[in-house]
Amino acid sequence: MIDLLSYGAFFLTMALSYSVICLGLNVQWGQTGLFNVGVAGFVAVGAYISAVLTTPETAERLGGFHMPIALGWLGGGLGAAFLSALVGAVTLRLRADYLAIATFGAAVVIQLVLLNLETITGGPFGIGFIPRPFGDLATNANAFGLANLVLMAVLVLVTYLVLEHLVRSPWGRVLRAIREDEDAARALGKSPERFRLQAFALGGFVMGLGGAAQAHFIGFIAPDNYLPTLTFQVWTMLIIGGAGNMRGAILGGVLVWGIWAMSGNLVSQLFPAEHQARASSLQIVMIGVALCAVLLMRPRGILGEVKTLSRHLGPRKPEDTVREG
Amino acid sequence: MQGLMDGLINGTIIGLGAIGVTLTYSILRFANFAHGELVSWGAYLALSISAALGALLPGLGTPIGPFSFGWSVPIAIAGSIILTSTLALGVDWLLFARLRAKGSAVIILVMASFGAALAMRNLLEFIYTSQPAYFTTALQISKPLFAGMRATPDQLLVIGLSGVLVLVVHLLLTRSSAGRSMRAVSENVQLASLSGIDVRSVIRMVWILGAALAAIGGIMSGLLVQIRPTMGLDLLLPLFAAAILGGIGSVPGAMLAGIIVGLAEALTVQMIGAEWRAAVSFVILIGVLLMRPQGLFGKAMA
Amino acid sequence: MTGILTLQGVVSGYQADLPIIRDVSLGVAKGEFVVLLGPNGAGKSTLVKTVAGLVPMHAGRVTLAGRDITNVPAHQKLRDGLGFVPQTENIFATMTIRENLQLAAQILPKARRADRIEAMFQMFPDLAARPSTRAGGLSGGQRQMLAVARALVIEPEVLILDEPSAGLSPKMVSEVFEQLGRINQTGVTMLLVEQNVRAGLEIASRGVILVEGRVAHDAPAADLQGDPIVSRLYLGGHQPRTKVS
Repeated sequence: MIDLLSYGAFFLTMALSYSVICLGLNVQWGQTGLFNVGVAGFVAVGAYISAVLTTPETAERLGGFHMPIALGWLGGGLGAAFLSALVGAVTLRLRADYLAIATFGAAVVIQLVLLNLETITGGPFGIGFIPRPFGDLATNANAFGLANLVLMAVLVLVTYLVLEHLVRSPWGRVLRAIREDEDAARALGKSPERFRLQAFALGGFVMGLGGAAQAHFIGFIAPDNYLPTLTFQVWTMLIIGGAGNMRGAILGGVLVWGIWAMSGNLVSQLFPAEHQARASSLQIVMIGVALCAVLLMRPRGILGEVKTLSRHLGPRKPEDTVREG
Repeated sequence: MQGLMDGLINGTIIGLGAIGVTLTYSILRFANFAHGELVSWGAYLALSISAALGALLPGLGTPIGPFSFGWSVPIAIAGSIILTSTLALGVDWLLFARLRAKGSAVIILVMASFGAALAMRNLLEFIYTSQPAYFTTALQISKPLFAGMRATPDQLLVIGLSGVLVLVVHLLLTRSSAGRSMRAVSENVQLASLSGIDVRSVIRMVWILGAALAAIGGIMSGLLVQIRPTMGLDLLLPLFAAAILGGIGSVPGAMLAGIIVGLAEALTVQMIGAEWRAAVSFVILIGVLLMRPQGLFGKAMA
Repeated sequence: MTGILTLQGVVSGYQADLPIIRDVSLGVAKGEFVVLLGPNGAGKSTLVKTVAGLVPMHAGRVTLAGRDITNVPAHQKLRDGLGFVPQTENIFATMTIRENLQLAAQILPKARRADRIEAMFQMFPDLAARPSTRAGGLSGGQRQMLAVARALVIEPEVLILDEPSAGLSPKMVSEVFEQLGRINQTGVTMLLVEQNVRAGLEIASRGVILVEGRVAHDAPAADLQGDPIVSRLYLGGHQPRTKVS
């Protein structure tokens, strides 16, 4: 019973950390229609910056600077936001899929940096001993687990409220106006590029924040945690939850992480140890097929979308469609 | 100098893949993140065929002339081209054609290709495991060419064959009626169908051509280096960088840009270190997007 | 309805619940030159695009030379003898003049292709002067000629043109219209969408006026030219309600 409680708390805390990342992606995709294929990279930047800032000083690499955890999270978010702004500045004025390619590339390079810049990132072994919130409760597994769960839930709630507020603010309205009719918005003197860039950077901040929170909860990070599969998981969470819908993003995070964790358990029970690596690739195949199936059959996700997304998911004018026949 | 040779060889393989990317991009109008997986699948399918042939008819394994492989490999290439094209057509039928018919936005197609890529890659890993595989274990001695450069007969074959393929595809596009139809669809789908072109058959043609070139590129890479389930993923960024640098829609541009990317990678390996090789494509990509988004031979586009 | 091209109870539009063409029946006789007129948003363009297979049809029937072409996809309607010249982007700008014609000739048997392209060059000497020029570099009038030639290569039974005069200078318009008259003389049935009522009625033998997705008037061109209703519709204060085309 005690095990179940602390496992439940652990599971939910992990799931909610994905919800934060998913909320960040929702600002970029759901609200603004920007396709980021490098989620894993931006999450990693948040996690690593926070880790370097907060870990105790060590001889092997830069820092750590032993700062308070909250400062680390903030630093992680800002770092990811800065990086998003850089990538966005280069690509946002171009075609939509150039952003996709550039963010994919950014994630590849970030992965290289994590692996190779050992003096900052610790190389392939990553960074350990990241201070965990409520670390002094660690002797009592239940209290520790619950405290962390509450903290993560508060983070999700605060992020949700702030983003909802922003979406409903004049700024959010301009963002929607740009998406619905870019030319009209331009005619009103709103620069679509600037607003898109702001939204992209804001989304990056939230992703970095989520990455930082997750890193502190797990306690150690390594480049392997930030492979393209992570990007893919977060996307699946958002699409299944319902792009454009903040609550959908949170739900999608919990749901997909739940499916992921359960199928992982199933794999480890059904397959002997030597076949587990193979079997877990089937797990990814399954998620890939699920994403495609949702795109085909229910492109608006489970909770549905707010109707502001219509231009991106609805039918286009026939003139710019590659239609057959 | 030897770096130049290695860069040229890798560059031609990147170029072959980039031709497929540039064609699907200009005719189907989306960046296909699953194109790299056609490279890996092409290589593994050829490996399976070649292994099966080698087991059934051991004589086919005897090396041809100066090359490291026997007749089983050319036969496997032909078989793999057919199977990889079928795979591409199958994925299109299952996924992309349905999204097109629904009038889905470009970015939904990009996302679907991303999902398809992950599923295809991990299916390979499930079937073949993540251990690297080889067409042949025979070692080849590289022969001196000129200016201190050395190359194995296999490597020279790859360069020669790539050159021939680029020429064939270029002539196909500029001189044949099939190529004219493809260019027409890439410029204006509606007008193309008003001119009597069956857009569906053009799309099929593009998948077959793209998959065939991807498979050949994958097999060449497998012949010269090794075959891994992630080889397509690792090639994806160089492919996109080359397609955009060459100018979307330009076949000679894609090949030339592929060679540029390959040479830049080789140069980086020599001057900075092999561990940074994968960053080269990103630097080139960002450079092109900043300075000349339409690429070397592309039309200006928003 | 009789004729080489007939439309029977056609309802069409991009969305099924929002038809732009509400109920149109129309017959065009062989060799006739019909001009389709109407206020902005009446659905003139949508109607011809429906015939060409570019706009989904929700009810009705279209026949061409006796064959039902209602459900024939756009690219196969050419084989049934339909030529269509869209209003904009009606040539392949990145291809040469000759390539544009070669492309259009692809559905013909191989033996006839060269002859038909040659025939087009004779009909449009301007195009013959420099067959290897990229079409994107042509002037507005020449583009329109190429667009017409593209559609004529296959010797269509019926040639449909969607506002070929749009964006051309008055001098160019009369040149293009003269050319269209000559094409009609060779026996090609014509259906022309036109904004300019006077010019349209001058060249055509019959006028059809479309209002809000329905046929409002259908009469010989000469009758319409002197008709007070026509002048009220076009010279008076009738304001278009929606802009759809």
